Amino acid sequence: MRLLLLLAGLAAAASAQAQFRLPSIDVNRLVDTVKNVGKATREIDEPDEIAIGRDVASRLLGAAPLVADPGLQRYVNHVGRWLAAQAERPDLPWQFGVLEAPQLNAFAVPGGTIFITRGLLERMRNEAELAGVLAHEIVHVLRKHHLKAIQKGAQTSLAGDALSAALKDRAGAARDKLIAFGTEMYARGLDKSDELEADRLGVVIAARAGYDAYGLPSVLQTLQAMSAQDSAVALMFKTHPAPGERLDTLSEKMQQVLDAHSAQPQLGERFSSQTKRR
Amino acid sequence: MRLIILLILIPLICWAEPATVIRATELKQDPASDSPTVAALAENAAVEAIERKGGWTRVKAGSAEGWVRMLALRYGAGAGAGAAKPGDTGITQLFSVARTGTSGTQVTTGVRGLDAQQLANAQPNPAEFAKLQEFASDRSAAAGFASNGALAAKQVEYPKP
Repeated sequence: MRLLLLLAGLAAAASAQAQFRLPSIDVNRLVDTVKNVGKATREIDEPDEIAIGRDVASRLLGAAPLVADPGLQRYVNHVGRWLAAQAERPDLPWQFGVLEAPQLNAFAVPGGTIFITRGLLERMRNEAELAGVLAHEIVHVLRKHHLKAIQKGAQTSLAGDALSAALKDRAGAARDKLIAFGTEMYARGLDKSDELEADRLGVVIAARAGYDAYGLPSVLQTLQAMSAQDSAVALMFKTHPAPGERLDTLSEKMQQVLDAHSAQPQLGERFSSQTKRR
Repeated sequence: MRLIILLILIPLICWAEPATVIRATELKQDPASDSPTVAALAENAAVEAIERKGGWTRVKAGSAEGWVRMLALRYGAGAGAGAAKPGDTGITQLFSVARTGTSGTQVTTGVRGLDAQQLANAQPNPAEFAKLQEFASDRSAAAGFASNGALAAKQVEYPKP
């Protein structure tokens, strides 16, 4: 069998077209088998995840830079880091950034980078709302929602063994493709079940961190009141279940947790003083 | 006299936000489920939302006033179906300004920023990435920040899948 694979590999190397057929043997299929074996031995481990995340985060910052306000950035980092400390991957290199963009959105990047837009932050009323959104994004990282989608996409839509090549060589063309794919994913969105899971577990993480657990539902109500035709929310609405549906699901599954932790601090004043335009 | 009228009108303008209840709901005297019922609201009944306290929102329903479950409310006129009707951004913004006390988003329609096109064309920005790393907090600084805000860590289990 190994000899056959070797022969098939040699045949493929000899024929760039890869249309070459040995009698009764499908060379293309054998070549694919060889590639799949290669992929199976190259899982995306945590250092890979962090490295991919850094490259994707750098691209996102190419689409929109950070808001030029170090005080604001540090404030959001404190809130986010405190939340991340309450969950199962507390020692990832967590970093949080407010992007200079009027659209309302937030992004979770594999390996522990979370972005929120200025547009979304400006619609919030207190720190518990900020915590609710950051906790939702933190869950995406904890459960590797984007990483899994990148991996799946790389295997189905990128050529052949691009993933292993992209993981090995950070300067190569395959890497470039992988990171571009990973960045574009934020325009396509995740599975609905991933988003609803991030809502449910995000509520728990915000409650663990001592915040009013209704922060996330409050933001969802703000979003729900906005028009889907508004370009400020167009991308976010396209990539997420409708806010009304997300509220329904939280109401159905999380009412008890929400009510048990609804009297915790909202920190409206600290939020206002830390987020006002300087 | 004019000032008094203005003072009476301001809370009405700033704080009442049109909403509907998505299911038949009891209007409670206080924000608690064991509080006396002021009125019974039918599904899709129109109300004006005034303020939120925990999981409860104070609303006006016709001449009655009381508290309903926050998660039973959907905002916007005719909001029962899910999204608000098109073209109400200006109204929402007004409320947003009132609620946040900040300037809110001044321009939302037809602006550039993070859209699908820009995500597709984005190039790496190492300079901004270096800043991002510089602003990061750490566990002990974050714990101090939490304690300044009287935030206490709690044990809360994840829901069963």
